[in-house]
Amino acid sequence: MQHSIKDDYINSIKNYTNQFEVTNFRRIACNDFKNWPSPREETWRLSRLGSLSRKKIKPINPNLKKNNNNTTNLIGSTIIQFIDGAYREDLSSKLPSGVNLSVLSDSESLKYLQKIKKSNLSDHPSTNVSLSCTPSIMKLTVSKDIKVKDFLEIIYEGGEDSQSVHPVLYLELEENSSLFLIERFNHLTSLAMPLQLIELRNKASLNSIKIFNDHEKTYNLSANCVYLSKESYLNSFSLIKGGIFTRSETHAYLNGCNSKLNLNGVYISSDNQHHDLTTAIYHDVPDCTSKQIVRGVLGGKSTGVFQGKVRVAQDAQRTDGQQMSRAILLSDTASANAKPELEIYADDVICAHGATVGELDDDQLFYLNSRGVPMDKAREILIKAFLEDMINQSVDNSLHDFVFKEAELALSSIIPKETL
Amino acid sequence: MSLLEIKNAHLKLDDKNILNGVSLSVNKGEVHAIMGPNGSGKSTLSYMLAGRDGYELEEGEILLDGISLSEMEADERARSGLFLAFQYPVELPGVGGMSFLREAVNSRRKFLGEKELDHLAFVKEARKEASKMYVKDEMLKRAVNVGFSGGEKKRFEILQMAMLKPTVSILDETDSGLDVDALKIVSDGVNAQRNNDNAIVVITHYQRLLDYIVPDFVHILSDGLIIKSGGPELALEVEKNGYSGLINAA
Ligand SMILES: Nc1ncnc2c1ncn2[C@@H]1O[C@H](COP(=O)(O)OP(=O)(O)OP(=O)(O)O)[C@@H](O)[C@H]1O
Ligand SMILES: [Mg+2]
Repeated sequence: MQHSIKDDYINSIKNYTNQFEVTNFRRIACNDFKNWPSPREETWRLSRLGSLSRKKIKPINPNLKKNNNNTTNLIGSTIIQFIDGAYREDLSSKLPSGVNLSVLSDSESLKYLQKIKKSNLSDHPSTNVSLSCTPSIMKLTVSKDIKVKDFLEIIYEGGEDSQSVHPVLYLELEENSSLFLIERFNHLTSLAMPLQLIELRNKASLNSIKIFNDHEKTYNLSANCVYLSKESYLNSFSLIKGGIFTRSETHAYLNGCNSKLNLNGVYISSDNQHHDLTTAIYHDVPDCTSKQIVRGVLGGKSTGVFQGKVRVAQDAQRTDGQQMSRAILLSDTASANAKPELEIYADDVICAHGATVGELDDDQLFYLNSRGVPMDKAREILIKAFLEDMINQSVDNSLHDFVFKEAELALSSIIPKETL
Repeated sequence: MSLLEIKNAHLKLDDKNILNGVSLSVNKGEVHAIMGPNGSGKSTLSYMLAGRDGYELEEGEILLDGISLSEMEADERARSGLFLAFQYPVELPGVGGMSFLREAVNSRRKFLGEKELDHLAFVKEARKEASKMYVKDEMLKRAVNVGFSGGEKKRFEILQMAMLKPTVSILDETDSGLDVDALKIVSDGVNAQRNNDNAIVVITHYQRLLDYIVPDFVHILSDGLIIKSGGPELALEVEKNGYSGLINAA
């Protein structure tokens, strides 16, 4: 008889969720997980999960005694720690006033599920598997009118070989509140499936930085659903550098007039890494702005994917949507794909997009060489400039240096060592 | 011995003969001017000297201070004292002017066995030289050549020359796009660097520049060949009669 590893994974989730009532959110989510996405599905064609589905994995049973690994150089003054996908109060800081972290009840969790199910993430594996198996959905709220001054830093660690972790977060910024959030994904696990729902109420403002730096064997299938209300602002920047396969998928719904979204990302890939930034921005109402800059630097045999959909509904007049993506290949064996997708149903819009994949510019290299700068150094200068330029444009001033250093660390593995 | 010696240089680009046996000797302390019609191969000659990829000699030889350049990459030639001021300076988005200059200067200093300048000493030196070229401090903070006007780019090239102290400088149409005042600034900048140990080759279309940077020799390049050499009076002849008479006579 043929033994299917894929069925093992599905069965282990079933076994776990079967202890709950049929109406429980976990049971509902579990029922919706039929299989890993197939390469026939358009958005998974360039990021195939074949080798993941052949791995023997089980959802983790979080070890609440496990320690954090203390190696992350913290930048925030308030730390929220997740290990094995579970929130660890004992390792987290006291939260500033106006910021609250709580566990969702079953009925709230059901509502959470319904909200995600309304989005185009309804079939994402992380939606269904993580809602089935998460230790609990954690809700982080910033109260009305509260402007949080300090950086809040969430650190995701833990996991085990052959196991999957399922941190699920609900972030709500109430009216006119603001927050700086830094998230660090440092899992040491076979599979991480972080799921997030972010709701920005009227005039709320979120600066978000995500750094994906999981272990070199980790698959990370991050899924994010964002709803923006009137005059809210999200400035989001992701740096993808870790894992064997990291895909960050974000669906952002601009639901309130005059909301503003920056959805930027950088991936730095080496060896056999596969990095994927998949985004969808839905302009459903008039007068919203979305801006996207995505840059990739690839060495070794790595592969990179950027898929960026922008949909402008018929009513969304005076939409301003910009999207630019650029990838630089540093080796003959690296490759990158960019797939912009514009669906515009309104007539009064400004939408621009451009996507390029190429090598470093010969004229620029020669110019540096002609000033005595050796080739390796010239390449390093241009690559760093390529990223720094973009980081300066898309990350809040106060965090430039931190983000650039994090990028630089990853570059060290693709730029020849002797020049660093 | 000549500081720069070009012997019978032949070069093809895409199977097209561009340089057809250029020979030129430049001695210490001299200024040479190369003039010639559009497309005659002046920029090609300068790229070849600077060691650009794809501009390798088919035949012939070039020597800098007696040392053959053919086996040297562009960066090594530059560190050895060769400088090219580009006809079209290249924009480097994200590369700050000051750090670019510092990288270049320290590469050269290392080669010369001099100590690398520390940050403060370097900034002081750069500002001093920049002010001579009327390059504002603000410009050094910007990305190299990005958003610079035509004239600003050319002034920034000569600023680099001043800081690198090359032994042989090739200035490819550094005068083009300059207004009257800028032409004076750039020429003064170049003249200030003339001494008995270095040499300068200026490529230009206009006699006007040669009123400021007075050459010892003028050469006419046509179809990849120097068809006539002479003193400064040759430039005046070109100005008056154009190239056709010279080319036909050759
Ligand atoms: N890659 C190439 N392949 C073939 N021909 C080329 C290539 N690059 C340049 N050329 C040709 O070489 C010739 C010389 O060009 P070059 O730029 O050296 O001229 P120039 O004397 O500097 O002209 P100008 O006064 O306009 O600056 C031109 O006819 C040009 O079209
Ligand atoms: Mg030219």
